[in-house]
Amino acid sequence: MTAQLRAELLKQRSTRTNLGLLSAMLGFVLLAVLLHGFALPAEHLQTSSEQLTMVVGWGEKLGVLFAGLLGAMSITSEIRHGTIRPTFLVTPQRPRVVAAKVAAGMLFGAGFGLIATAFAVGAGSAALATRGIENQLDASAYSLLLAGAAAAAALWAAIGVGLGAVVRDQVPALIGICAWLLLIEGLLLGDLLGAVGDVSRFAPGAAAAAISGQEPDKLLAPAVALVLLALYAATAAVAGSVATARRDVS
Amino acid sequence: MRATPLVAADASAREPVVIASSLTKRFGELVAVDGLTFSLRPGTVTGFLGPNGAGKTTTLRLLLSLAEPTAGEVLVFGRRYRELNDPARRVGAVLESNDFHPGRSGRDHLRVLALAAEIPSSRVEEVLALVELDAAAERRVKTYSLGMRQRLGLAAALLGDPELLVLDEPANGLDPAGVHWLRGFLRRFAEQGRTVLVSSHILAEVAQTVDEVVILNRGRRVASGRLDELTGHGKTLEDTYLELTARERS
Repeated sequence: MTAQLRAELLKQRSTRTNLGLLSAMLGFVLLAVLLHGFALPAEHLQTSSEQLTMVVGWGEKLGVLFAGLLGAMSITSEIRHGTIRPTFLVTPQRPRVVAAKVAAGMLFGAGFGLIATAFAVGAGSAALATRGIENQLDASAYSLLLAGAAAAAALWAAIGVGLGAVVRDQVPALIGICAWLLLIEGLLLGDLLGAVGDVSRFAPGAAAAAISGQEPDKLLAPAVALVLLALYAATAAVAGSVATARRDVS
Repeated sequence: MRATPLVAADASAREPVVIASSLTKRFGELVAVDGLTFSLRPGTVTGFLGPNGAGKTTTLRLLLSLAEPTAGEVLVFGRRYRELNDPARRVGAVLESNDFHPGRSGRDHLRVLALAAEIPSSRVEEVLALVELDAAAERRVKTYSLGMRQRLGLAAALLGDPELLVLDEPANGLDPAGVHWLRGFLRRFAEQGRTVLVSSHILAEVAQTVDEVVILNRGRRVASGRLDELTGHGKTLEDTYLELTARERS
């Protein structure tokens, strides 16, 4: 298992895919944080919760998204390029390969979450300072944000691996993750919040945001959200492992 | 290449290396492999012949546990491939000529597999030199010619210094010098008491390299045996092959 993990870590490091994902993520974080930090009316950016959710929380949201993409690509890219064949020839016990991908994905995913959030904190603080809005976020809020975003992104990378293993096709898997987080949870479920009760706070994207303390009045408590998201991640990873073990490789 | 020669006198070494018994694979209505039975003797190069769609590649995938048989079984060294301990040190295989991530270097492709198989990195350099890719090892695979990719695939198959080599159409894309080199390599490999299974539809090439042939048509074995037995009485391998596959076709 450690041999497979070492192999997966080298796979992650030996192409430019992750560098590309990281650059794109930082670009989007900068765009989202500056747009919200400068465009929102100052009266909507007064409280700690507003500043966290509307401005620096974009680091968490995009960190989670890109960690999910990274996880999914770690398996769909192997299927797309055919390297899954030599991978399974060396390690025919396919659940070991999936487990190693989950572990490697979680490590890199946590890094993505941490980097995105730290970058958002820097950009967001600068935006607020430029506008003369007093920064209400204290050390404990930042700590929870950083640790929560890292944990949420790690778990979303595991979800990505599981989803990628089930879907197998790269493009649908990546579009599915983007559509879920940005469209379905971001818009559709968000609009339903309140209309059909509090169902949407149990969704995996909302749980990810809750871990870092965003929207405490609407979302789950961080510890509860962490457990819930871990359950989602475990379910996805097991589904991916079972699907990978059962299906033929073409 | 191997420091100490295999002990060919060992009784177990004379057991068939591969035994396929009533091997069958269906894809819905299509019967890709139909009750196929054959075995491979150690120290031989066996040509696996048949027209396109005869079931050659499917049989190799079943042999390597990339796909599961619908009925029957194929054992490698007395076990199913996925139950082998340390399969990379027993069996090396190349199924497709392009199972690489285009953005990864040739050396990193091999290092990833060596890590997963717990093979020392010094062996990566050995196989790179063996297939004469050491000068190109740092380049990304997308810059490789088809012949270089074939050789990189072969290098990956040889990482574990295996006793059985399984190659699907290995001569595709090789120039005449490359084909000559491969032929000599496979002969030397078999002379060390090791075993080669090589699928091909280039009969002229096969006739110069193999000791035994298994001819497949529509998933069934239509002939097998020593090359000299199948080609006696003034008949070439091509005559025999065309006669057998045409009879089935009509």
